Amino acid sequence: MFDQQDRKNDIKFRAKVIFEIILALSTISVINLYRLQISNADKYLLMSNKNRIRLAPIVPRRGRIVTADGEIVATNICQYKLVMERSDAKTFRENMKIIRQCLTISEEDAASLNEARRKKYPFIIVKDRLSWEEYSKLSMVLFKLNGVSITNTYSRNYPVGPEFAHIAGYASGSSRDASIYNGKSGIEHYANEQLRGKFGNIQTEVNATGKRVKIIDSLEPTVGEDIILTIDSRLQKYVYDTLSLERAGAAVVLDLSSGEVLAMVSIPSFDPNLFSQGMTKTQWQEVTGNPMFPLINRAVNCSYPPGSIFKIVVAFAALCEGIISPKDRIYCSGGIKLEDRVFHCWNRAGHGYMNLTDALRFSCDCYFFEISRRLGIDRIVGYAEKLGLGSETGLELPTENSGLLPTRRWKFLHYGTTWKPYETMLAGIGQGALLATPLQLATMLGKIYAGNTDFSPTLIKNQRKNKKFDIKNTLDSRHLTIIKDALRQVCTSGTAARSCNTDYGISGKTGSSQVKKIKSHEVGMSQSRIPWKWRDHALFVGCAPVPNSRYVVAVFVEHGGGGASVAAPIARKIFDWLLLTTPPEKKSQRQDANE
Amino acid sequence: MNKNFPNECKILFATLFLLLLMSFLGQYSAFGGQLEGSTLQHAGRIVIGLVVMCGVYTVNFRFWNNFAYLFYAFIFASLIAVDLAGTVKLGAKRWVDLYFFTFQPSEPMKLALILALARYYSPLSQFEVEQLRSHTLPVLFTILPVVLVLRQPDLGTAVLLAAAGCCMIFLSGFPLKTFVAIIASFVVLCPFGWFFLHDYQKNRILTFIDPDRDQLGMGYHILQSKIAIGSGRLWGRGFLQGTQSKLDFLPEKNTDFIFTTISEEFGFAGAVLILLLFLALCSYFFWVASESRTKFSKLTCYGLGISLFLHVFVNISMVMGVLPVVGVPLPFLSYGGSSMISFMISCGLVIAASGQKRVVST
Repeated sequence: MFDQQDRKNDIKFRAKVIFEIILALSTISVINLYRLQISNADKYLLMSNKNRIRLAPIVPRRGRIVTADGEIVATNICQYKLVMERSDAKTFRENMKIIRQCLTISEEDAASLNEARRKKYPFIIVKDRLSWEEYSKLSMVLFKLNGVSITNTYSRNYPVGPEFAHIAGYASGSSRDASIYNGKSGIEHYANEQLRGKFGNIQTEVNATGKRVKIIDSLEPTVGEDIILTIDSRLQKYVYDTLSLERAGAAVVLDLSSGEVLAMVSIPSFDPNLFSQGMTKTQWQEVTGNPMFPLINRAVNCSYPPGSIFKIVVAFAALCEGIISPKDRIYCSGGIKLEDRVFHCWNRAGHGYMNLTDALRFSCDCYFFEISRRLGIDRIVGYAEKLGLGSETGLELPTENSGLLPTRRWKFLHYGTTWKPYETMLAGIGQGALLATPLQLATMLGKIYAGNTDFSPTLIKNQRKNKKFDIKNTLDSRHLTIIKDALRQVCTSGTAARSCNTDYGISGKTGSSQVKKIKSHEVGMSQSRIPWKWRDHALFVGCAPVPNSRYVVAVFVEHGGGGASVAAPIARKIFDWLLLTTPPEKKSQRQDANE
Repeated sequence: MNKNFPNECKILFATLFLLLLMSFLGQYSAFGGQLEGSTLQHAGRIVIGLVVMCGVYTVNFRFWNNFAYLFYAFIFASLIAVDLAGTVKLGAKRWVDLYFFTFQPSEPMKLALILALARYYSPLSQFEVEQLRSHTLPVLFTILPVVLVLRQPDLGTAVLLAAAGCCMIFLSGFPLKTFVAIIASFVVLCPFGWFFLHDYQKNRILTFIDPDRDQLGMGYHILQSKIAIGSGRLWGRGFLQGTQSKLDFLPEKNTDFIFTTISEEFGFAGAVLILLLFLALCSYFFWVASESRTKFSKLTCYGLGISLFLHVFVNISMVMGVLPVVGVPLPFLSYGGSSMISFMISCGLVIAASGQKRVVST
């Protein structure tokens, strides 16, 4: 007993206990080290790298947008900006004192800059878009400033301006970094990836205070690709100038052999530079608050009732379905009675007996009331779909409107009611709920003249190389000949005879689509006496020359009045330019661009 | 090897040489890889420390037996001087300015306490040791400097002083049951000590319990230290390649966090090597103690070994986030003169003790 007590109090025994504790604690330490440096090493290495490595993008030069004849529509211009690195309050004050001798910076701006400095961003932009005068003044005093430098960035510029605003669209600087441009509309948006190129980056090592120590690695950016449009800039400008005489409208010119869009204009237009380079508040309100909506591309993003132009589709459907033969005649008394309502022909005196050609030539409504009644809405819609209406044409522009082909199903889904017979008749003359974009109408005519439903418009050069029409989609040429002949007669002795009877030969169809029901006191009233917003839309689609057609033109004038009186003369001018005036330099330039 | 040194000292010299080499490399790296200013100062301290160590060895070990109380009294007086007229650095009053250098008496206090307690217990018989009454003076010896150091404030040193004192009292043969009872009641009463802590000490302990509490303050330091150690992996990022220390993400990379700096650059291998070197040094101290003939030298060597290990354990646990950050230097490796000199003196004392054994045995 005593021995054991003695041993327990012995210094050697107690030292042994302590040494064992020491060994145990050492083992714990090794285990802790193992957990940090072996088990979780990857996690901590990642955190360590995250601490010190900063990744900054290098923005590539954005690709240009060029027309087929070499005119630059969108490009980049070099701009200088004054940048200050992260600094303390004293350095900031001293810098600002010198800078304000060269630049006019308001007290408010100076205060907000100081606020930005306090937020400890790596750098702050003192002033963007320095003028040459400011640039040279600043260069003189730059050596006195601490951590201040002038850097250059590229900003997006549209040298031509409003003529191409709806095609090229616009790109604006991102809110995070104004030098990174993103396409917001038009080709800029559609081909954003291609135009932007690939971002490079620069990896820098920073210390605990965020100061750059060295560059670790960098990846060079890939410059954005240029986009070549199918547009002919001279034609585009000519169409723009011609159409500018109207308040609002759109025009599309297609090359029949390739589907290339040679011109596409929407009136009114806007200056895309406002969006890419910044604008004042009043400019913003002017553009966005404009009742005429200049930002909308009326040729593609808006659909309208096609009016009499739709009669081409109905006539083609009737021929294909064997509803009517070209010689069959229908009597037009100036109106047709259905149930208790009377549906008038535009000519209330009546056209008398009409065959298909005459009905198209004089755009007789009664004739088409009758044959659309015989066809029924389902068959009409089927042929309209075949000719490209009711769905996007696939043009290389964003937010294309698909138009509207009303069907029984659509009526039920939207109104919860059944389809009424009179609605078929209204659809037969392109009124009612039926809607189409001017581009769709041009494409529709293109499909008829190309004789194949594979015809479709394109805006980017060489996009559809080697694309051949599928023989399965060929339209029946016997029926097409009848339609083409009728459309030719429209321009020689029909509704468009006054403006479109030319030597080279135009064939086409006019359209005046009502936007509201005509009240009894308005019957026969001149369009100029009706308020602008209730006037008819004026439309014309045409093809020239005859016989070997090369160009399709669609003209749409919003609330223009009459297709024959307003839209057809504009189309005539466009055809004249295309086929009669051919400036020699234009030819050579186009050949260059093609090579 | 100097033939005046005892043969067994070879182990100690080899270990010490490796530790001092690591110490120099660590400081060289932590100061940005430049052989000037602070790095040279550290090298100078190593040399001065080695000279002091030899000086201590040459003094007859019996001198320390006689000198122990005087030494304790002198250091205790210095601590009071610090309390009355100390130099304030980083918000703590720990240094006395001696005009040509500043001196931190709390470092040699650990040494003085061990010597004084060894001196006190050496003549006591087994019977006397078993009387609780005879332990009154050692407890006072321990508590008085602990209170003074806590007032500086320096929680880490105070804890280490208290721990060293306790171990000495335990070693001396304090009745086991009573000892266990006291420790147990102390652990129970510990939470009440909370009210006597300074705000910054409370913060450190709270941050230790919940590192997310203060991610940009103390929690940030612990996290950055863990990142640095962890990113070292098995073999380290390479000498002078530690990004956490080079880019100033690490706090106090020369002093309390020197182990982190070394672990980042030399990895798990380097960290374990340092731990093993300290363990070897500590084992050597224990071995000399167990072979010593006099109770004074036994107690002194055990005490010094325990103190050395406590420093190492608390320091590396602290930088790994296992213990709260309390400001304990890593022996020989941390930048700082007082710590370096006092651990060199420890080594000198142990060599002297081992020499005394040899002289007696031959």
